[in-house]
Amino acid sequence: MANRDPTSWMRAEYESLVAQSLDWKLRVLQGPSAPRSIVDGKTVIMLCSNNYLNLSNHPKVKRAAREAIKTHGAGSGSVRPIAGNMDLHEELERRIARFKRREAALFYMSGFAGNAGLISQLAGDGDAILTDELNHGSIIDGVRLTKAQRIIYRHRDVGDLERALKEADVSAKKILVVSDGVFSMDGDIAPVGEIAKLSESFGAMVYIDDAHGEGVLGDGGRGVASHFHVEEKIQVELGTFSKALGVVGGYVAGSNDLRNYALNKSRTWLLSGSHPPAVTAACTAAIDVLETEPRHVKKLWSNTKYFKKRLVSLGFDIGRSETPITPVMLGDSATAKRFSDRLFEEGVFALPIVYPMVAKDKARIRNIVNAGLKRQDLDDALAAYEKIGKELSVIA
Amino acid sequence: MRRLGFIVNPIAGMGGRVGLKGTDGVVDEARAAGADPVAPTRARAFAETILALSRGDPSLSIRWLTAAGPMGMEPLGAAGVDEERCEIINRPPEPTTAEDTRRAVEACIDRGAELVLFCGGDGTARDVAESARDRAPILGIPAGVKMYSAVFAVSPQAAAELTLAYLRGRLRIGSAEILDLDEDAYRRGEWRIALVGTAKTLVEPTLVQAGKLQVAEVTEESTREELADHFRELFAAEPDTLFFLGPGSTIASIATVLGLEKTLLGIDAVLGGRTVAKDVDERSLLRLLDQHPKAKLVVSPIGAQGFLLGRGNPEASPDVLRRIGTRNVIAVATPAKLAMTPVLRVDTGDAALDEEFRRREYLFVLIGYRTSKLHPIQR
Ligand SMILES: Cc1ncc(COP(=O)(O)O)c(C=O)c1O
Repeated sequence: MANRDPTSWMRAEYESLVAQSLDWKLRVLQGPSAPRSIVDGKTVIMLCSNNYLNLSNHPKVKRAAREAIKTHGAGSGSVRPIAGNMDLHEELERRIARFKRREAALFYMSGFAGNAGLISQLAGDGDAILTDELNHGSIIDGVRLTKAQRIIYRHRDVGDLERALKEADVSAKKILVVSDGVFSMDGDIAPVGEIAKLSESFGAMVYIDDAHGEGVLGDGGRGVASHFHVEEKIQVELGTFSKALGVVGGYVAGSNDLRNYALNKSRTWLLSGSHPPAVTAACTAAIDVLETEPRHVKKLWSNTKYFKKRLVSLGFDIGRSETPITPVMLGDSATAKRFSDRLFEEGVFALPIVYPMVAKDKARIRNIVNAGLKRQDLDDALAAYEKIGKELSVIA
Repeated sequence: MRRLGFIVNPIAGMGGRVGLKGTDGVVDEARAAGADPVAPTRARAFAETILALSRGDPSLSIRWLTAAGPMGMEPLGAAGVDEERCEIINRPPEPTTAEDTRRAVEACIDRGAELVLFCGGDGTARDVAESARDRAPILGIPAGVKMYSAVFAVSPQAAAELTLAYLRGRLRIGSAEILDLDEDAYRRGEWRIALVGTAKTLVEPTLVQAGKLQVAEVTEESTREELADHFRELFAAEPDTLFFLGPGSTIASIATVLGLEKTLLGIDAVLGGRTVAKDVDERSLLRLLDQHPKAKLVVSPIGAQGFLLGRGNPEASPDVLRRIGTRNVIAVATPAKLAMTPVLRVDTGDAALDEEFRRREYLFVLIGYRTSKLHPIQR
């Protein structure tokens, strides 16, 4: 086997991705992620960041990061279970629990690490996991690490979920139901109220990944469980600081039992260095801002309503979105790509989502509305949409 | 320059208009009853779509390997395909026969066709598959009376789109079942569709969401590996359960991964991970069930219509199914296959038994390691 080549397969694989246009072409953000950002040297209206509330630029959040570096240094020195558990981490977890009105919370490196590390520990051989077919990849990876029976139910289909629960009920010991709260491709919301009630009648544990619902839905941005008033029926809420909260890091919130179990069992938590002081303190400050300045969530929704209403009156199809994630449906992939390129030329940054990420006839541009956008920014973006829509005969 | 085979069965589809179940062996009868050929117009529509969709894309320059006359050159010419782009591989005398189809398929694969397009029905598909012998994928332009085989596009236009997608590298090659009417049984007055073989054909890659803006392709092989892992564990966990492995390419390829030599068209019995009987008929199935009352039947939807039971596996008779128990039927499919199968069909020939399945409305289909999805059963 001396002529084995250790690396050439990587290039071959990469080239095949390029040939199918499935490779990522990275754009470079020069400066902060802001309502108007500099991307590849051009100032553009940002319509594709997850920084819903623009908290990444909030003075209190930035100040907290600077202060923490002064008091605690640049890094944490270890994993949490050994010597990297700082007072800042404990303080943040108390603040998360208070904000989410839960007994306890556990801070993970990322939402991804939370899903991969915790779901994999919540079910095993003889158990069943019921999972929405459009759940996020980090959930899929977490589920794949278990020996549980995996049942994939149709997207947001409570009837299918009920059938699956009945089937699982026959043989499974534990049952875990997992769903995104808000689905990031279409901006649609999971029927979390019905999921919670149905699961309760089967004694199933409910796990909601609220990455896109936090800071967006519910009382004061408390997320999808609060939106449906079913907090007590949801045993695990996973959230992230990488989106509306404007920093980075994931967490789970729930009971003390959940926290105790999760921190002793999640390998992604036990075996990965803890967050640096700047990040941790910035996350606490972001929660502070959410609790004390309700105007950001309000602004996000008024911007969203305005933007959506105007798009619809221009004649665009915005799909089934119920949140600030606003797809503009364009049909075929070539049109969506062309549309996005033209938007960029006109100073609007919004990504096309094309086959194979979505079905062939469902190509779209995905816009994410931001609380930091001024009316003028939205009007400029809408003017670009109108111009290009007519140019490409998408609207009359 | 891409080399594609193009073979038309000019008499395909004639029987349908006059209430015959196929045109095999009954052309004169069909003609006498006033049937017009369907295939030439379908073949031409396919070629016209290809021309329209590939215009202006030099990377899609195609060289057609085809037969002279109505078996290829005529419809291509009628659609406006330049003669210079065609290579005549044989000149069958008219009227053409199944033997001409077989010869033409052999000839175009020998001359380097990377895909063989054919226009016809199940009978043609069978001839083409048998001569292609998995040396090249085949794709059917639908023009027959019966089209149960899973190698047909839904329309001539769709066949053209699939061909171009394949040339652009967007499709994969997978295997699919060829089904055909059992002609002898039919002449005796019985309508029975039998699984007669498999062929390579074009399949959509199965894409899974691997991140919110990213998808990854799962190959058919990796799905099969996963399903094989599943059965390996199941066989080990239930060493005294007799597993009957049903017909079709999905189950055969899972068995291959497990190191079992599986008959493609029949039912084999596996105990403790070892094959204990091959290609069993109904009598032997019942005898085996006497010895091993604990049994499970593994079946996969077959052909374009998604028959789970009753077509292609008559050995699993109503008696056998009752003995095994409908709850012990394990349906399995790759995600790609399931995506192409809108409903599962059950037609055991026993109305009460069919009803027992249909009442459930949905059936679990195993699509990966310990992974299943509920899929509707046709009412
Ligand atoms: C639904 C969902 N879950 C989890 C994640 C992962 O979160 P994080 O960025 O914190 O890893 C994301 C974001 O990418 C997401 O959209």
